[in-house]
Amino acid sequence: MSQRYVIVHDENKCIGCQACSVACRSENNVPDGVSRLQVHIQGPFGEAPNLHFKYHRMSCQQCENAPCVTVCPTGAAYIGDDGIVSIKPEKCVGCMYCVAACPYKVRFMNPETKVADKCNFCKDTRLARGEQPACVDVCPTDALVFGDTNDNNSQVAKMLLQRANYQDSTHLGTKPRVYRIPTKKGGIVS
Amino acid sequence: MPGSLAALEKGDLKGVSADYVASICEMCSTRCPISARVVDGKNVFIGGNKEAKAFGGKVCARGGAGHSMLYDPQRIVKPLRRVGERGEGKWQEISWDEAYEMMATNLNDIKQKHGAEAVAFSSKSGSLSGHLFHLAKAFGSPNTFTHATTCPGAYVIAAKAIFGTKLKRDLGNSKYIINFGHNLYEGINMSETRGMMKAQMDKGAKLVVFEPRFSIVADKADEWYAIRPGTDVAVALAMCHVLIEDNLYDKAFVAQYVEGFDEFAKEVKAYTPEWAETISDVPAADIRRITHEYAACAPHACVDFGHRATFTTEEFEMRRALYAANILIGNIERKGGIYLGKKAPAYNKFAGEAVAPVLAKPGVKNLPKITAKRIDQVDEQFSMVWSSGGVYQSILDATLEAVPYQLRGWVMSRTNPMQTMTDRNRVVEAMLKLDFIAVCDVYISETAAYADLILPESTYLERDEEIADKSGKNPGYYVRQRVVEVIGDTKPSWQIFKEAGEAMGLGQYFPWQNMETLQLMQVNKDHQLLKQIKDLGFVTYGQPLMLREPSMVSKFAATYSNAREMDEDGTYGSALSFKTPSGKIELSSTKVEKMAPGRGVIRYRPVELKQADELYFIQGKVAVHTNAGSQNVPMLSQLMSDNAVWIHPVTAGALGIQHGDAITLTSSVGTEKGQALVTPGIRQDTVFAYMGFGSKNKELARAVGKGVHCGNLLPHKTSPVTGMNVHTTGVKLAKA
Repeated sequence: MSQRYVIVHDENKCIGCQACSVACRSENNVPDGVSRLQVHIQGPFGEAPNLHFKYHRMSCQQCENAPCVTVCPTGAAYIGDDGIVSIKPEKCVGCMYCVAACPYKVRFMNPETKVADKCNFCKDTRLARGEQPACVDVCPTDALVFGDTNDNNSQVAKMLLQRANYQDSTHLGTKPRVYRIPTKKGGIVS
Repeated sequence: MPGSLAALEKGDLKGVSADYVASICEMCSTRCPISARVVDGKNVFIGGNKEAKAFGGKVCARGGAGHSMLYDPQRIVKPLRRVGERGEGKWQEISWDEAYEMMATNLNDIKQKHGAEAVAFSSKSGSLSGHLFHLAKAFGSPNTFTHATTCPGAYVIAAKAIFGTKLKRDLGNSKYIINFGHNLYEGINMSETRGMMKAQMDKGAKLVVFEPRFSIVADKADEWYAIRPGTDVAVALAMCHVLIEDNLYDKAFVAQYVEGFDEFAKEVKAYTPEWAETISDVPAADIRRITHEYAACAPHACVDFGHRATFTTEEFEMRRALYAANILIGNIERKGGIYLGKKAPAYNKFAGEAVAPVLAKPGVKNLPKITAKRIDQVDEQFSMVWSSGGVYQSILDATLEAVPYQLRGWVMSRTNPMQTMTDRNRVVEAMLKLDFIAVCDVYISETAAYADLILPESTYLERDEEIADKSGKNPGYYVRQRVVEVIGDTKPSWQIFKEAGEAMGLGQYFPWQNMETLQLMQVNKDHQLLKQIKDLGFVTYGQPLMLREPSMVSKFAATYSNAREMDEDGTYGSALSFKTPSGKIELSSTKVEKMAPGRGVIRYRPVELKQADELYFIQGKVAVHTNAGSQNVPMLSQLMSDNAVWIHPVTAGALGIQHGDAITLTSSVGTEKGQALVTPGIRQDTVFAYMGFGSKNKELARAVGKGVHCGNLLPHKTSPVTGMNVHTTGVKLAKA
């Protein structure tokens, strides 16, 4: 693969403000009632005064071993040369196998296009124009970093080497490409 | 719904450009620089303007969702006349000519019979208030009001008393930030929010938060103290006590710049951390330790003086005490401290050359002389408030009790006192009593629902406005430009109030043709400058300057050959003066003592914000809504449409309340139904709700009846000197 695009979500910097979610909806014409991206503010956990929230990014994890691609009977779900889990709308028959198979519960049927939908790092909108994904572009506190880890000099490549990070539910063997820097309160100290 | 966008056939959005257009957001009052582009004729992608470095080219959820208001079917796009009773919700579409005629007939009638001062004018500040207040002046009424006393007024008034002017925070360069419930991570102010996060995460600054609730800013803090509501002043005074008694204060700074230190030092002698602990529940040892840590970072440290300032009747003392804790470490005009904005005239003077263009102020000569006193001008103690937006809630007293005289008309623009002012019933009563009410808004807000006439304003994405000053440490300007062509039969407020003025026979006071003429007047007909500002959307000039910061001053002096000569210590410290009677920082003030006897020196006074058997009721901001203005915006309503009430598990348990249960809150003025959010993130003696929900008018279809209406629980109370509307009260909680 020529590129290995990833997003790093720094939960220390994230304030759960949903700017990312709104920008994604606007850029990608995501209809009401469904979403490609949200940040869930969970908690607070712990005992007062030592409380902490968790800021959990809910979006396609861009799995290297993607269950949605495996179950897709028509080849509509595929992994592109850029490593991005993508959808060919003309091949989608709306069977919803992928929606059921996604362990992160981030695929949905788009009520307007009737095609399976989810985050694709703004592949056919912003990336195509040479811009950063909408969520990264607007994030008020710079909590999101996007880039290609095949490029050793990229900020994401360096960050993943230097900062303690984790991925969601790695035990499933999905190899997600959304990396998370845990909050220094209550989590792994980085 | 007559007059709403739903009644129009849905067409494609017509962008003014195929590319990005630079403009200014209006989803809250921070007004961040934005850059917007129409997507497929369907919606608008709104990002930050990358030219504005301090804002990082970023935008928050509210800013990003602005376009969802633009084509919201519930938006009003035709002038409406009330046809039923006030508040009944019966409307009839009328033409703009009919609307202006209705305004002219009613307002001129009041003027003739009772004088122009019998009409109050209130507006969200900005270009909007500029034009509405100009109409008020031309009409002859002194009674103009912004929302200041229901939100940020007190920190401005306290600053005026001490420094003679407003100050800014340099959080991005702070090494130690002490924050009293200024929730910059939910009440997002882009440059400050980013500055604080950078200071914390990239530069290792320490953040200490005193707040009754575990907010997002409390979560991101190194230390959080669940302070008793309204007692911040005690902790701030105890910090000042420690700074003075433990000899940690900047004596040279105090000697050179400060007036009234001795009186203040004498007063704070009694305010020990042990004393503050008994009032605030913040441990004395922590107050001492934090103060020492703070002083060790001086002068690159800051006590944040806050924004929304409606916590207590003692706002004036509280905000002044917060400034005092800054003054004592000498952080004024130092990196990481607080500083004065550097607008073009002052900056150019330091540089000895015209680094930044100075904009002209288009105005009109020979406006009628107004002899009537403002309704809030009778009580001398509020004299610093008059020029800062006035005591907003005094409109209610003047209407209901004719104090100091009878109001009969109210013209409003983009303001929603039915939500933000205390005691909703009293606002209703006042609105029912008035002879005539006109409201300019995008929606039929809870307040607009009681109007006789609704003037539909174009949203900010359809408006051009004047160039605005956005100077920080160096001069800067930016401008609002329309991103799409106007939808429906709406108009920008500058046009509405100009045309209304013409209909009222005041045309001579509105000599400009349109916004372009006004902009050209501002730039002294320098077309090239205007084009540059419009193309970039945001321009700054020169380099950051803080007068007492040697590194900045030496760089500045080296850049400009005719620059002011540096003092011996390599700063411009000798040029630092203040617009106070003494020209110094007035820690204690004879002027204030005269206005409000007993308040010349900052002093603690016990306050009773609730009865013993009640819980404190406090409110705050959430990142996806703007107080009372955004609850009906589709995308934001979908993110959050309700404000569940935060209740501590122990408090909830004692009343048999479980998470998600229906509950009631009852105060001295009202009862509200809501939902319980049981969380350890709140004090046991306090309940919290986000502001702006629980609308009671059916026109706001997405917001009606959802959540707790805060204004309906807060009694009418005004704090001394600052005129602030107090937003903390006592409530009784029960399972519904």
